[in-house]
Amino acid sequence: MKKEILNRINALILQVLFRGFRVLYKNDGRVRKEIDSWNDGLTLKLVCGPGGAVLAMRKSERSGVARLQRAQRTAITMRFKSVEGAFRVLTGQIGVSEAYAEHLFMLEGDIYQTMSFVRCVEYAEAYLFPKVWSGRILKEVPEKKMSALKVYALILLENTR
Amino acid sequence: MKYFEFTNPTKLCSGKGALENLAYELEMLGASHPMVLSDGMLEKIGTLKLVTDALSDMKIGRIFTDIPRDSSIETVNRIAREYRDFECDALVALGGGSVLDTAKGVRLLISQDADDLLELMGCECIPKGNYVPFVAIPTTAGTGSEATAVAVIKNPALNIKMEYISAQLLPDTAILDPRMTATLPPRITASTGMDTLCHAIEAYSCQQKNPVSDAYATAAIELVRKNLVRAVRFGASKEARASMANASFLAGAAFSNSMVGIVHAIGHALGGVCRVPHGDAMNILLPAGMMYNRKECSDTYAELLLYLAGPEVYLKTPKQKRAQRTIAEVIRLREKLHRMTGLPVTLKEAGVDPAMFPEVAKTALNDGAAIVNPRQVTYDAVIKILEVSYGD
Repeated sequence: MKKEILNRINALILQVLFRGFRVLYKNDGRVRKEIDSWNDGLTLKLVCGPGGAVLAMRKSERSGVARLQRAQRTAITMRFKSVEGAFRVLTGQIGVSEAYAEHLFMLEGDIYQTMSFVRCVEYAEAYLFPKVWSGRILKEVPEKKMSALKVYALILLENTR
Repeated sequence: MKYFEFTNPTKLCSGKGALENLAYELEMLGASHPMVLSDGMLEKIGTLKLVTDALSDMKIGRIFTDIPRDSSIETVNRIAREYRDFECDALVALGGGSVLDTAKGVRLLISQDADDLLELMGCECIPKGNYVPFVAIPTTAGTGSEATAVAVIKNPALNIKMEYISAQLLPDTAILDPRMTATLPPRITASTGMDTLCHAIEAYSCQQKNPVSDAYATAAIELVRKNLVRAVRFGASKEARASMANASFLAGAAFSNSMVGIVHAIGHALGGVCRVPHGDAMNILLPAGMMYNRKECSDTYAELLLYLAGPEVYLKTPKQKRAQRTIAEVIRLREKLHRMTGLPVTLKEAGVDPAMFPEVAKTALNDGAAIVNPRQVTYDAVIKILEVSYGD
């Protein structure tokens, strides 16, 4: 039961993160630059533990990232070892670098390109979490180019089709 | 206490006569016709013959010595094909980091029934496959590759050094015989020794550190303090050579479990973009990297003074000055080695063109070592470290 609740929360946060990438691609030049540097058509997947929520996406020229079918094989897969570990990262209890240090996830694919994806996650975290919170999980909180409130509003309005 | 993991299943055979156990160790691993990997220089100076002699009656499946200084994915793929063609059943790697990392790549391909190393990229994602007995015999005391779950292999198409991280890369046995490093010239002894020191310092200070890796790292630093200058000055000293080999193994095991940081991230990039030898890059970048990290690491650097300078200096130095003194000790050692061997201490001396800094910085940002550095690795920070290290 507990795992089911964590799965649902993870799925919801992945949805926010995906929309966040699209919003920031349009509104924050640093995120745009990172995503533009990815190989054309790069496919990525975040798997939140065995049987857990999945976010599968590909680089898209128009919107930065676009959705993929979850079953599709991707060039880069970040696979959390447990639903609980993914929950800790997605809810901002620990940062990505700390999760790496604690071996919470494994990576299939090119480490070099994954580092850019990690920076995008960190930019998103800077907007999505309050500064006192992001200050605990990020080594350096990136400057916000727009208000977090506006980012949340755009995330709600974002058309992901 | 944070969660941590520590893996080091490699059997260590270290000291005088260690090489004579090679045939026995292979037999115990179930091998009967190993492939021996090495390089042309080691063949020329007779080190390879010591190894083939130590194999005594064991039938050698294939000897491959055409491994370049920066091994590449193509080289690894080619050797794996030969391993299969010659029906070898084990790997013996004799050489420096390049040969050992090549062997790790070959082992990965054979064990996973794969043909191209690019298919196996990743971190901690390779399951146990077919068993390939693997013995590593390092001929430098620097990379610590014989004790690490990491392989760095060049991708010439992208001009980057790619990292593979997997427990499946760890050799079954490491043989550290002082004869293997006895003929290393003083300059290379100095350069590789500074690589060992850098592994230990970064292992002790980066985000993934843990009590077990700390123990390995501090033991390595103490051995470097007592033996590096001696090994450079008296290359024939078996004790100094064996101690530096042990230091390299210990530092390798430490950083394999705690990872390295900004100095390695930039060093890998300098190797890929500007072809600066890895040990030289570590020697040049270490003080500037430590100065950058000092804001987050002053306590850990202060603790290292005990191992780097000894108890007397540690006790005499006021607590608040110990971190700075640790960095000063690294600089002092670096200058001593520079006077003794001409080891470059600036990027200018290493022949790096400052026009390459932006490309080096971009590459360094995407190096896996950047993720666990105690301080955020930014483009501006890397440029600053490169400029400071240029030495104009």
